[in-house]
Amino acid sequence: MGSRIFAAIDVGSFELTMKIFEFTGKGNMKEVDCIQKRLDLGTDTYFNGKISNEKMDELCRALSEFSEKMHAYKADSCKAYGTSAIRETENTTIVQDQIAQRTGIRVDVLSNSEQRFLGYKAIASRGENFSRIIEEKTAIVDIGGGSIQLSLFDNDTLVSTQNLRLGVLRLQEYINRFSARSSQVEMLIDEMAMAQLSIYKKLYLKDREIQNLIVMDDYISPLMVRRHGVKATLETADYTAVRHLIRNGSTTQAALAMGIPEEKVPLVFISALLVERIAELMGARHIWAPGAALCDGIAYEYAEKAGLLQGEHDFEKDIVACATSISKRYMGSKKRSETLENITTTIFDSMKKIHGLGRRERLYLRLASILHDCGKYISMVNIGENSYQIIMATEIIGLSHLEREIVANVARFNYSRFVYYGQQSGSSGLDQDSFLIVAKLTAILRLATGLDRSHKQKLTGLKASLKDNRLVLTVDTQEDITLEKGFFAMKEAFFKEVFSVEPVLKQHKNL
Amino acid sequence: MAEKNEYGDPKYYSNRELSWVLFDHRVLNEARDKSIPLFDRLKFLSITASNLDEFFMIRVASLQDMVNAKYDKPDIAGLKPAEQLQLLDKAIHQLVELQYSTYNRSLVPQLRQNGLQVIRQHEELTEEEADFVDRYFEENVYPVLTPMALDSSRPFPLIRNKTLNIAALVQKKGGKGEMDFATVQVPGVLSRIVQLPSHDKSRKLILLEEIIERNMHKLFLNYDIVCAHPYRIMRNADLTIEEDEAADLLKEIERVLKKRQWGEAIRLEVEAGMDKRLLKILREELHIDESYIYKIDGPLDLTVLMKMYGLEGFDHLKSPGYTPQPVPQLPAGCDLFDEIRKGDILLHHPYQTFEPVVDFIRQAARDPEVLAIKQTLYRVSGNSPIIKALALAAENGKQVTVLVELKARFDEENNIVWAKMLEKAGCHVIYGLVGLKTHCKITLVVRREEDGIRRYVHLGTGNYNDATAKLYTDIGLLTCSEAIGEDATAVFNMLSGYSEPLVWNRLSLAPLWLKDKFLYLIDRERRYALEGRPARIIAKMNSLCDKDIIEALYKAGSVGVKIDLIVRGICCLKVGIRGVSENITVRSIVGNFLEHSRIFYFENDERYEIYCGSADWMPRNLERRVEILFPIDNPDLKEKLVHILDCLLEDNEKAAVLQPDGSYEHPDRRGKAPFRAQAEFCREAVEYAGKLTSDAGPATRTFTPETHR
Repeated sequence: MGSRIFAAIDVGSFELTMKIFEFTGKGNMKEVDCIQKRLDLGTDTYFNGKISNEKMDELCRALSEFSEKMHAYKADSCKAYGTSAIRETENTTIVQDQIAQRTGIRVDVLSNSEQRFLGYKAIASRGENFSRIIEEKTAIVDIGGGSIQLSLFDNDTLVSTQNLRLGVLRLQEYINRFSARSSQVEMLIDEMAMAQLSIYKKLYLKDREIQNLIVMDDYISPLMVRRHGVKATLETADYTAVRHLIRNGSTTQAALAMGIPEEKVPLVFISALLVERIAELMGARHIWAPGAALCDGIAYEYAEKAGLLQGEHDFEKDIVACATSISKRYMGSKKRSETLENITTTIFDSMKKIHGLGRRERLYLRLASILHDCGKYISMVNIGENSYQIIMATEIIGLSHLEREIVANVARFNYSRFVYYGQQSGSSGLDQDSFLIVAKLTAILRLATGLDRSHKQKLTGLKASLKDNRLVLTVDTQEDITLEKGFFAMKEAFFKEVFSVEPVLKQHKNL
Repeated sequence: MAEKNEYGDPKYYSNRELSWVLFDHRVLNEARDKSIPLFDRLKFLSITASNLDEFFMIRVASLQDMVNAKYDKPDIAGLKPAEQLQLLDKAIHQLVELQYSTYNRSLVPQLRQNGLQVIRQHEELTEEEADFVDRYFEENVYPVLTPMALDSSRPFPLIRNKTLNIAALVQKKGGKGEMDFATVQVPGVLSRIVQLPSHDKSRKLILLEEIIERNMHKLFLNYDIVCAHPYRIMRNADLTIEEDEAADLLKEIERVLKKRQWGEAIRLEVEAGMDKRLLKILREELHIDESYIYKIDGPLDLTVLMKMYGLEGFDHLKSPGYTPQPVPQLPAGCDLFDEIRKGDILLHHPYQTFEPVVDFIRQAARDPEVLAIKQTLYRVSGNSPIIKALALAAENGKQVTVLVELKARFDEENNIVWAKMLEKAGCHVIYGLVGLKTHCKITLVVRREEDGIRRYVHLGTGNYNDATAKLYTDIGLLTCSEAIGEDATAVFNMLSGYSEPLVWNRLSLAPLWLKDKFLYLIDRERRYALEGRPARIIAKMNSLCDKDIIEALYKAGSVGVKIDLIVRGICCLKVGIRGVSENITVRSIVGNFLEHSRIFYFENDERYEIYCGSADWMPRNLERRVEILFPIDNPDLKEKLVHILDCLLEDNEKAAVLQPDGSYEHPDRRGKAPFRAQAEFCREAVEYAGKLTSDAGPATRTFTPETHR
């Protein structure tokens, strides 16, 4: 059979969704079925810390139905992800285990940055419209139940992304707690949102002019898609119109007029208000609501990994660009980053047989190279520890929490004393495999920083070759590299320890 | 032209109940039509009787509920429930009188002329015949009777809804003149028609109640029978609330229902000439108003005539049977999926056979590539081949989802039985939706093919019932259009309780968007008319009584949209109102087949669109049922549908045209050849079936071996 069937499940904080996708030759991805069930897990998690038993039962019942449907389609594989409601519940692992036992479905938990990254892939899966839009200055706002994510694009590459705890369900729950009169709701939301949004503007937006705003959410976007179609370009006024419709009538009337369930009306209202405010804040003239959902992103990712789809957009480039802009924020030198990146990847690539690491780990190494000394912004003395803290506190879209920790540790041990597996103090969540990755990447990064100790980028024409347990690094330069040689010798011990390979530095003076 | 908001004025609307009575009159006209074979006329008369029974149980009962609940919101025509009942009382009495005068004055004499004598009273029997019926009574009838006498120690027995009974006044033998009431039910397990032995060609029959009446004394041995007469009651026993009514009413009635005395009698039919003392007892014991008593000059419950129609040996007095024709694109034994992939296929029942629809599910059940079958079932036949095929599919490991509508009127018990059967076979059975009747007719077959998943869909205007598909005119579409397939998947997801999809491609669904869609389509014609462009609507349905739709039609008609409506039953729209509905015509077709298809044509500025669906233009269809409207896109098939509508508009034999005074008249035939659409469709179907099979080329003298697929 020429096609492949994939089931993507999103255990969201407000709704459960399963989409069935079919991949046929020529990189075709087609959604063949979509089922969605309203299940408010978010309120339980955000405000009680745990998912109640009733909700668990309902969740398992629904997932069992999903599983049946998936089998009816004879799906070749399936991926289920839980978002903030599962992630933020106190007993995530117990919940995951229960679901697996009762339904046979393993729900993996997405970190916020992974989730947003998938959301962003979902939009990209909408094809040519996406590439065309992000050629201009564009922002994506991804409105979730617990928080919203704002990401900025420059020249078709992602440059920054920031999470704000302004999720629709969260705001709604506050409103309920304040027992606000309906006439006050708009003002309250406005105040809560603008307080955070104006800080965001100061930090990230500055004078940047945004032309396009891409909106992704499960509340108002479906409505906009239904009203205007998938490809329509909207304006702030379209969102204002929806909000007025709700404000000026009863909830029942609004639900009828918009063809949505009543309980969704206040959420649509909040969502519309957020989109309006953000669009105004950014000065965006055009709004695009592609109706893309997390499931689309899950499928896109699956297809990329399985080689079923050749995506147009280079997502790795986005992650690197994101790191670069973080480095810039902490006064990192672009040139030095580039040199280091160049050296580390050269070494990495020449040692594939030895380290056995792959493309993803290479990306960690690049990121660590870019961010290796961001801690100096805080203190020149304790760079390693400070870099670690900064990286851990900054979101890098597309990286899971664990991946971020790997990158942060590589940057940290580049300066600080290496801490071996088993010696780590409590908080580190690295398992043995991740620890090994950290060790290997640290060894490479240390060697590379040694080679560029003077920060003068002397070693431009670097070549590396691996021969009989010796890594010969040849530099093509006229400059004096005494300093580099000295530091190189100091760093090589750790390198040897990790790889059992002796690094040798040779200067090739091409007179 | 009327003022903008004036179209809603009640004076522009007819009451739906009275309009229904007119419909039954039109059916009765068929029974009165001398050009129709005699036995067919019996059948039509029987249909008017069973129609009326249903009307009483549902509509009259509902109006009475309203009166009891003191609900007096006027209807579309401005009539309060009590007023409606008053008008109906008169109209129904007239209808019943006409039924019996037709029976007594026209049909019975003609039957006698044709060698079939119906003995009206047992007193007319010859001695030999009397012996025969008495013996018949003792051997067959007596054992199943339960006579009940009433005296001070025994309360009035419960008389069951719709049953035929005989009431008698009895007097203790040697008693002092005091009379008691006695009653016995005419058993439903025995045939009501008993044929008498005959020495020549002529045939005689007597009704079972006459035989019992004659032998009453054998049931009450210690009594003398003073008098005995048949009677029949109808009760307001319908405990489910009518979906036709407004939501606020439903709440009100629900409250009252709890208090309502169960099964209050709403109609009492008695033999004309029933003893007054006997009638008084019945009236008092049943607490029934004088106006609900029908004194019948003839046999009670004329549905018995359907049995008479079934008598053998009278084929020459019936119209020749019609065999639904094969569909040329779907020769017997073909692979339906292959054929559907070649292009959409339109089915016109009963002119064309329903077999492809059954085969569609049968083949899907056996096909190894089929992943899932989903279907909605509203009313199915007793021994349904569809149910069997679905069960087989589940056993073959397909995912089978069936929505069984348990709320289908009068069919509840029947439906539960086979729904359980499907469940046993492993089907996923959904027992309807809360608060909504699922009336749409849709089947989805999901198949995994070489180039990916393909969905095959059948959409129809009629139920998945192979028996009624031989009698009801309906349209069906077989398609594998991607857009419709996506929508069909979404329909079943919604029926399984999941959320609505982001977008619908081609289907419109009630109660979500269907009414809006119709209003939009009607208004679009209005706008074209205003721009001076061609604007026309042709709509065929069973009933038209939705106020919003009628208002929209008035608005469109008043600015020049030409509107032709083919409405078989109830029509609350009035024609010929100056400035409102002069451009609107309404015609009703009552023929051998029950007109059941719903087809909607919109000119759309000469790019006409044509839709079929399961919904009438009634509030219950548009607001409280799940219904589907589907477009026909293929130009050839569109033309076929236009042809069907044209023929129906041309019919001058079986059509009745609504007049400005609210009556229905046969169209003017002067200068026109008689034309009967249903007959034409039969002829065409035969011709079409023959033509295409002969197109298949000359018969070859080679055999085609069956190969494994």
